[in-house]
This record gives sequence, structure tokens and C-alpha cells, in this order.
Amino acid sequence: MLTLFIVTVSAYVLGMLAALFSGRSAIGRGLVAAGAAVGSIAGLALGVVVITSGIPFALASTRFLPLTGVALRLDGMGAFFLVVVGLVGCAASIYGFGYSAQYAGRYSLRTLGVMLNLLLLTLTFQVMADNALTFLVLWEAMSLTAYWLVVTEHDQRGTVRAGVWYLAMTHAGFAALIAMFLLLSSTDLTTSFASMRAGSALLSPAARNAVFLLALFGFGAKSGIIPLHVWLPMAHPVAPSHVSAILSGVVIKMGIYGLLRILLDIMGGGPAWWGGVVLGAGAVSALLGVLYALMEHDLKRLLAYHSVENIGIILMGMGAGLIFHSYGLMTLAALGFISGLYHTINHASFKGLLFLGAGSVLHATRTRNMEEMGGLIKIMPWTALFFLVGAAAISALPPLNGFASEWLVFQSLLGGSNIPTPEVAIVMPIAVGMLALTSGLAAACFVKAFGITFLAIPRSPEAEHAHESPRPMLAGMALLALACIALGLAPFVVVPALGRVLVGLGGLPDTHAVFSFNLYLVTPSNFAIMSPTLVALGLLAVLGLVPLVMLLFRANWRLRVGDSWGCGRVGQTPRMEYTATAFAEPLRRVFAELYRPTKELSIDFHPDSKYFVQSIEYRSEITPWFEKALYGPLLWFIRLSAATVRRMQSGSVHMYLVYVTVALLILLLIARWS
Amino acid sequence: MEADIAIIVRQIDERARRLFGRSLHIREVDAGSCNGCELEISALANPYYDMERFGLHFVASPRHADCLLVTGPVTRNMAEPLRRTYEATPNPKIVIAIGDCANTCGVFKDSYAVVGGVDQVIPVNVFVPGCPPEPVDILQGILSAINRLPAK
Repeated sequence: MLTLFIVTVSAYVLGMLAALFSGRSAIGRGLVAAGAAVGSIAGLALGVVVITSGIPFALASTRFLPLTGVALRLDGMGAFFLVVVGLVGCAASIYGFGYSAQYAGRYSLRTLGVMLNLLLLTLTFQVMADNALTFLVLWEAMSLTAYWLVVTEHDQRGTVRAGVWYLAMTHAGFAALIAMFLLLSSTDLTTSFASMRAGSALLSPAARNAVFLLALFGFGAKSGIIPLHVWLPMAHPVAPSHVSAILSGVVIKMGIYGLLRILLDIMGGGPAWWGGVVLGAGAVSALLGVLYALMEHDLKRLLAYHSVENIGIILMGMGAGLIFHSYGLMTLAALGFISGLYHTINHASFKGLLFLGAGSVLHATRTRNMEEMGGLIKIMPWTALFFLVGAAAISALPPLNGFASEWLVFQSLLGGSNIPTPEVAIVMPIAVGMLALTSGLAAACFVKAFGITFLAIPRSPEAEHAHESPRPMLAGMALLALACIALGLAPFVVVPALGRVLVGLGGLPDTHAVFSFNLYLVTPSNFAIMSPTLVALGLLAVLGLVPLVMLLFRANWRLRVGDSWGCGRVGQTPRMEYTATAFAEPLRRVFAELYRPTKELSIDFHPDSKYFVQSIEYRSEITPWFEKALYGPLLWFIRLSAATVRRMQSGSVHMYLVYVTVALLILLLIARWS
Repeated sequence: MEADIAIIVRQIDERARRLFGRSLHIREVDAGSCNGCELEISALANPYYDMERFGLHFVASPRHADCLLVTGPVTRNMAEPLRRTYEATPNPKIVIAIGDCANTCGVFKDSYAVVGGVDQVIPVNVFVPGCPPEPVDILQGILSAINRLPAK
């Protein structure tokens, strides 16, 4: 294990050095990617070894590490997140080798390479942190490197603004985390997690509740749960696409990791309302996330809103787990947490894949606006295929991975019938309904995303002259597409492994007997049984039956290729195609109360007659009322107080000397009386 | 009279089932007609003729059709759409030109707006004369067109 750890760290460090010394050349880019990929694979292997062996990996250098206040220890749960980091990191860095070529001469490849490797390195250490200080330092390092990566394309419109929002939100969360750890460790941040675990039981209920709320805020700001999500749809799209994949696939998952670490591991679970709050936040994030995604025509922003949605789904599983945990139903609790973790790795793989696919489209067409795409399936068939796999997986279509994990989330929510409390009996079915609506809308959204982007005929010259991505980019996508299929087909391997990861955390039992290595997924007390593997075989059989039936009925096999039927119309132009706006219009009407769309229609008539229209301009926007209602007053207050404080800054040295004197006097007075 | 119609339509259906493996699906194309022929064609679906009882359908796309009923002299604007419609119809297909205009352009002959009869644009199996032809004639036309197709 130590060898793997050393390989991981040194590969990342070598990647950084390569970026520093020869970042601009193709060889440099290759070395950067190789460093990141090797590091990721070694990290993944380390995670797998820890999970399968069940032995935590602690860094045993007793002489040096304790002096620095750093403590590193990799347990099962950390190992699981290390696997997630490795999976997405490897694919994204291979992809990045091809993708970053376009940055040569425009943006700093040196910064990009260093920061990419540094981010993966901090993520690796993040899941190993074993005391509050290490955790917080790495958390901040992760946030800052991510910020650097977000502002890579700094001269594009909106990039810097997105970076500022991200920085502000993540630091608000960071402040909450510091407060939380101070509460947990009774102000000594170098206390190890083990002693925090022992100490957390002694905390008063009020302090425990405060820790819960601070954790939810701090980690929620990182994960982008609604209403703390505003930075996410801004920051993720403007980052380079392989970085977006890491941000959406892995970095926001660190919030999930933190929540699990604090709530389940260190606090050992809590009262049922904690679970209720987590479940509620998850349900709201899931539903609103997908509703906003539906209205989005910027391909990458659409995917970013889907990250909000999927974080919501993960939180719903975790929330259900916390509720069962508080009622002592440990097997069901394990099912809830397993479904959340399973969806975590699934979301990492398919969202990573989708962001890479969107990056390929962006690389080929130079636009993120879906209304200017179309017909790309003919020009870039591989990208289209991989994107389709990702889209089917995120829409939870069997036999891909999204289906398996969402099915488990459903089952854990339906397990709520085992708790005879009216509150739970009301909340759980509502959550089931919201999850069902979310899944349906997600499928609709990806019909739009795939259909408008890849099908029909090109809507712009850029789309017409697109090109297939270079090999490394395709390889990165292929890796994640395979992961999507494998994770979907083999839940009988994944689920017991996740069960083993969770054993002992917060007193969760060994669920190995309940989720055995079997073709079927069986939920506790045989409530439901499903086998994605058999579903896949069934689908294959049905696909095979089609030609058989055609043969039996002596169908006409001759193939004729012709144009799409357009009612015999002569000028079949892209203007006649279905647009993304039109596709989403029915839902915009249904949920008008939420979107509050503004419409502007200006018609330019011919000067002589009103019957001849020269041009029509239609503009419609949906009101981002989170920013308006929630953040508007906050921003106003911050601006006001900043303006007030600024008056103190007169620029005159005499004034500053007065400030120093007054401050000193006040301090002396305080010291006198205290 | 009514019995005759039933006999014709039943014959069409039998032949069509043998040839196409299903009942006959018809796409109607107005290539520039005065709509006289359309009135007679739509009469095929009324309660008196009621051809749907034997499974003869009018369909909304040539992709679903076995048979095209084309009316009117082919105007310049409709020549290309008519050609495309013919191309979009799956094989085997039959084309029946309904009415005198579809054959000789009738009173529109030599008009600047007219390309010519339907056979100037696409191959025609059967012409049904009349201005307009009666529904029974149209059914007879469909039947003879099917009969002329080589047996499968």
C-alpha cells in the first residue's frame, strides 16, 4: 500500500514539475497528462486495495508528521472516494492531453498543468485527512486550486465573475466548517478524528445540532445544494471541460464525503430530523436542479444544473439512511447510505463523461449554445455514442449505472413504511414522488440535450464544419463510458463493496449477508428484487428477437437511404428544425410559477403596411429568483457595509496613526478589566 | 350498386393483402387540382362507400403509403414536392392519376403555371378519366392498378 501511495504522490508531483518546466510543448502536455493519469490509477488501486483488504492505510512516519500537525489515514470510506477521484481523474487527464492543445499560446498551460495535478493531489490527501487541521488546510487548498482552474479562460465573458462567486461561496462554507471543527474538537484543531468520535457523544444536544447545521451549510456550499448552488452553474461551465468533469464528478462529491464523515462517522448519527432535513434539501435540490436544467440551452450549464440534481439524489439516499439510523433500523440505514454512495460513483462516471462529451462538442464547434449545434452525430459519431451512453445513464435507463443506483434510492425511500411515525409516513412518499418526477424530467432533458445537439441538420456554419475529437479525448470518454456500463451491470460487486466500506461507521452492521454476491439485488426483508444484469440480457435478447421476427414474417430487408420526410418541402433548412427552446416550452408553461419567464416581442413592420413584417425579435428569459430574493439583499448589505468601512480608509497616515492609538487604548482597557 | 362497391373494395383489399402483406394505405397528393377530384376522393370515406371497412386507409405521410392518388395538372410549384413524395413512398408502390387534368391538364392545358400531366413528373400506373371521376371509378382504377402489378 505504501508503494502505491508513493507512486500516487510522486506521479502527481512529477506531473506538476513537468508542467512547470515544459508546460507549453506537446511533450510537456503529455507528461502532465501522464503524471495525472498514473497518479489517478495508482490512487484508484490504493483505494481498491484498502476496500478489498479492509485494512485502513495509515501513514506511519511517526517522526515527522506529528510535528507538522498533519495526520493521514485512509479508511474504507476514504478509499471509496479515492476510487472516485482516480476514475474521473484518469479519464479527465487523458482527455486533457488532447483538449488542452487548443490553449497553447492563448492561456497558461503551465498553470493549468500544475493546478490540475495539484487538485488531484489535494483530493487524494483530502480523503486521507485524519484530523481537523489537515482536513481544513486541504479543503482550502482544494478550493483555491479549483478556483485557479475555473479562471483558466480568464478573458472570456463571465469567467472571472463565476470565479468570484465560487470563491465567495466556498469561503462562506469554509468559515462554517472551521466553526464546526472548533465545536467538535473543543478548539484544538489537531485533535484526531478518533478522539473527536469519542468526544462527540459528550457534546450537548444543542452543540450537536449546531455541528449538524454548520456541516450541512459548509459541505452543502461545496456540493451545491439548493439554495447554496448559485455558483455551481456559473463556475463549472466556464472551466476547461476536463476540469469541469473533475469539478462536477469529484470536487462537489467532497461535500458528500465531508457530510458522511462528520454526521455518520464522527457524530455517529443523530436525531431523525437531521435525516429529514438532509432528505428535504436533497429532494428540493433534485427537483429544482432538473427544472432549471430543462430551461438551459448552454450545454455545459445544463450539465452543471444536473450536478445539482444528482447531488440532491445522493442526499435523498443519505437522508433516508440517517432517518433509518435514528430509528435503529440498521440494515435499511445501510441501504440508504449504500444507495447514496453508489449514486456518488455513478454520477462521477456519467457526469464526467457528459462533461467530456460537451467539451468535445465545444472543441469542435466553439460554442456552448445548443441552438447553434445539430447534426453532429454524422461528423463526430464516437463522441455522439459516448454522450448517448452518458445521457442514458443519467436518465436512469437500464441497464446502465444510473438505473441501478436510483432504483436503490427508491427502495430505501420506500422502506420508510417500516417506521410507524406519521411524520415519516408523510415525508417518505412525498420524497418518492419528487424523485420520480426528477427522473422523468431528467430523461426529458437529455432527450433535448442529445437530440438538439447531435441529431437533424447543423444549425450553424460552425456545427457544419465540426470535426471528430482527437484520439486522447475519445479515449478519456471511452474509459468513463465503459465505467458507466460496468457499474450498471455489476451491482452485485459494487453493493457488497460499499456495504463493507460502511461497516462500523456509526454502528452500521456488516450487510454482506443481506447483499450477497448474487445476480439479484434484494432489499431487506425481500421487499424488492431486481437484477440489472438480467435486465441487460433481456434487452439484448429482445434486440436479437427483432431480426428473428422480421425473418419469420418475411419482412423486406432492402435498405434505401433518403432525406428526412419534410412534406415534400423544397428548401429544407435548419430554420425549420425543432429548437431547444421549443422543446422545453410546454414545461416552461407548466412550471411558469417557478420560472417566472419574461417575454419580449418586438416586431419591425414595413413602413408602408402593417401586413408586411420585416423582422421579429423574441427574447425570453427565466428569472433567477434565488439570486434576486436570497442573494440580492445579502449582496446589498455587503456592499453597504463595505462602503461604510471604506470611509475609514482615508489614505492619510495621520488618520491611521489615530486608529492604531485608539485600538491600543481599547485593548489596554480590555486587558485592565478582564 | 352498393353490392358492386363492396365487391370491388373487397377485391382491392384481397389483392393488396397478397401483394403488400397488409391492407392498402393511400396517400393523396393534390398537385394543383381544382378540388373537384378531392371531393370525390373524400367521398370514398363517407358512410355510403366507407372503404375503411375493408381496411383501405388514407395516411398522412408517403412513408406509410403503398399507393399515391394524384389529382390535378402538375403545377410548377408542386412538381418537385410530387417527385419527392414519389421517392419517399416505399416500394412496391402504385401511382393512380385521378381525373382528366392529371392526364391531359384539361382546361389548364398550355398554362404558364403548369408542367403537364402527372406522367410528365412521375411514372403512373393507371389513369382514371372523368371530370371529376365518380368514387366507383376511382375504386375501379385502384383495383386495376393492383391487378396489373406482377404477382408476388
